[in-house]
Amino acid sequence: MSKEVLVIGGGIAGMQASLDLADMGIRVHLVEKLPSIGGKMAQLDKTFPTNDCAI
Amino acid sequence: MLDVGRHPNIDLLAYSEVQHIEGQAGNFKVTVRKKARYVDEDKCTGCGLCSEKCPTTVVDAFNEGLGMRRAVYAYFAQGIPSTRTIDPDHCRQLNGKKCGICQKVCQAGAIDYTQQDRLIELQVGAVIAAVGYDVFDPAQIAEYRYREIENVVTAIEFERLLSASGPTSGHVYRPSDLNAKAEIQVLEKQAAKSGRMLARFEKKYGRTSADFFMQYQAAPTDDADQEKWARVYQEDLARKERLAALNDAVKDAATAKRLAFIQCVGSRDFRFYPFCSGYCCMHSIKEAIIANEHEPQTVSTIFGMDIRAVGKGFEEYKIRGGNKSGITYVRGRVAEIIEGPGRNPVVVYEDTRTRSVKQEAFDLVILATACAPTRGIAELAATLNVALDDYGFIKTVPSAPVDTSMRGIFVCGCAGAPMDVPESVAQASSAAERAAEIIFQSDPVKEKAVA
Ligand SMILES: Cc1cc2nc3c(=O)[nH]c(=O)nc-3n(C[C@H](O)[C@H](O)[C@H](O)COP(=O)(O)OP(=O)(O)OC[C@H]3O[C@@H](n4cnc5c(N)ncnc54)[C@H](O)[C@@H]3O)c2cc1C
Ligand code: SF4
Ligand code: SF4
Repeated sequence: MSKEVLVIGGGIAGMQASLDLADMGIRVHLVEKLPSIGGKMAQLDKTFPTNDCAI
Repeated sequence: MLDVGRHPNIDLLAYSEVQHIEGQAGNFKVTVRKKARYVDEDKCTGCGLCSEKCPTTVVDAFNEGLGMRRAVYAYFAQGIPSTRTIDPDHCRQLNGKKCGICQKVCQAGAIDYTQQDRLIELQVGAVIAAVGYDVFDPAQIAEYRYREIENVVTAIEFERLLSASGPTSGHVYRPSDLNAKAEIQVLEKQAAKSGRMLARFEKKYGRTSADFFMQYQAAPTDDADQEKWARVYQEDLARKERLAALNDAVKDAATAKRLAFIQCVGSRDFRFYPFCSGYCCMHSIKEAIIANEHEPQTVSTIFGMDIRAVGKGFEEYKIRGGNKSGITYVRGRVAEIIEGPGRNPVVVYEDTRTRSVKQEAFDLVILATACAPTRGIAELAATLNVALDDYGFIKTVPSAPVDTSMRGIFVCGCAGAPMDVPESVAQASSAAERAAEIIFQSDPVKEKAVA
């Protein structure tokens, strides 16, 4: 029986899920295929509808 | 991103892939392959000296091919983890050629050409698949001539052109000009080299290359030296001609100020994806607003069947774009893009309000491409033993939008269906909560009693 979680993909969805679980005290392994996390959102200049800087 | 890298409960396995998984909810055994970076993550300080000195340049995927990077690289400047990676497909040392420069310059001793892939075994109670999406390749739509007309780009390429950290520092230069400038750089280097060679011949034989070449043409010899001189001279002439043409083409190079956005490229199209990708109307409006903020003379036309601004604050955003940021919305589907004079793409479309076929030239055309399932999702689904839907996204049902067909494995974000950032985040929290239910339910004492 394991109390840990595997998250596959380090885009905005995977990062948010990992943070939520980690904040609940659950150990998370986040696997990302590229050299850095961030996903597509890291490539965006700003995001709608607030035009905040993406990451 | 930084929070993820720093959280004590998160074990970040970047540059890694899930290779194998077995077991069931509460008890999965996972094998992860951590690929060799040839750089020791713990030792690397991220100083960047290696990249500065690396002689090998490679097309930069993060900048959507609009710039170059080195064979030892950071995926992007603020990337987490903040370590470099050596690209094994391009590094000279790793391909049996002489180099080793990065190892020599690295003060931290972080470069290790002998590093191997590592297999890591994990025991987990639940899994969340958040593998996202790929941008649809618009070259599949022949009539938009994405690969043929340089000034037709995708929306994600345009994001990089708009970005202050992108290849043009946020100035929207046209790819035709950027490519011409890159070619000029290469040719000028070659021209300098052949100039030096010609000077050597001229000194050796005491005459100008032009004089020599005239005589050589009239009476060619088979002297190897003279043959070479003639060849270099001819190549030099051709190069100078090309350089003059390129310099002429870029002399009035200006940033793009008349933009066309084409909606539903691959979406709502029965040849490709019948669904609406959901976020593309909004990102076209956003990109048009930002372009106008950068240069207030910029005007944009958004061509779409309709503009889908469904979300909190979205309709207001659309109207503001029209009133304040020079956006015109045209209802119509674009039939074709052709190239007109001045490297300007010309959009041929039906304006459905006037029921007439029209044409208009722009500086740059931006394609709002569909949200396609990510490459490798079929293999991952097979590994996880979860079902895919008809398009290749991970299958869910409306009443359980983050549950997959396998108990204990959840999905969130664009891995399950096209969606924007606010929706992806909401789904992520929902998937985290579903996973936590399994973790907190799996009481080892009770399990033992059952067993
Ligand atoms: C041009 C453009 C502009 C946009 N602008 C906005 C905007 O302004 N606002 C907004 O709300 N939305 C915007 N979007 C939509 C936004 O990009 C998505 O909603 C969001 O990125 C989805 O996040 P995700 O985490 O699901 O997927 P992704 O960002 O795709 O992340 C998936 C991650 O998983 C990794 N991965 C993939 N396969 C594997 C594997 N097998 N193993 C391990 N890791 C894997 C990938 O490398 C990636 O890091 C835009 C989209 C585009 C195309
Ligand atoms: S020179 Fe060494 S420490 Fe600096 S970024 Fe490169 S690998 Fe890392
Ligand atoms: S060894 Fe490879 S990565 Fe290092 S400097 Fe040479 S080509 Fe670049």
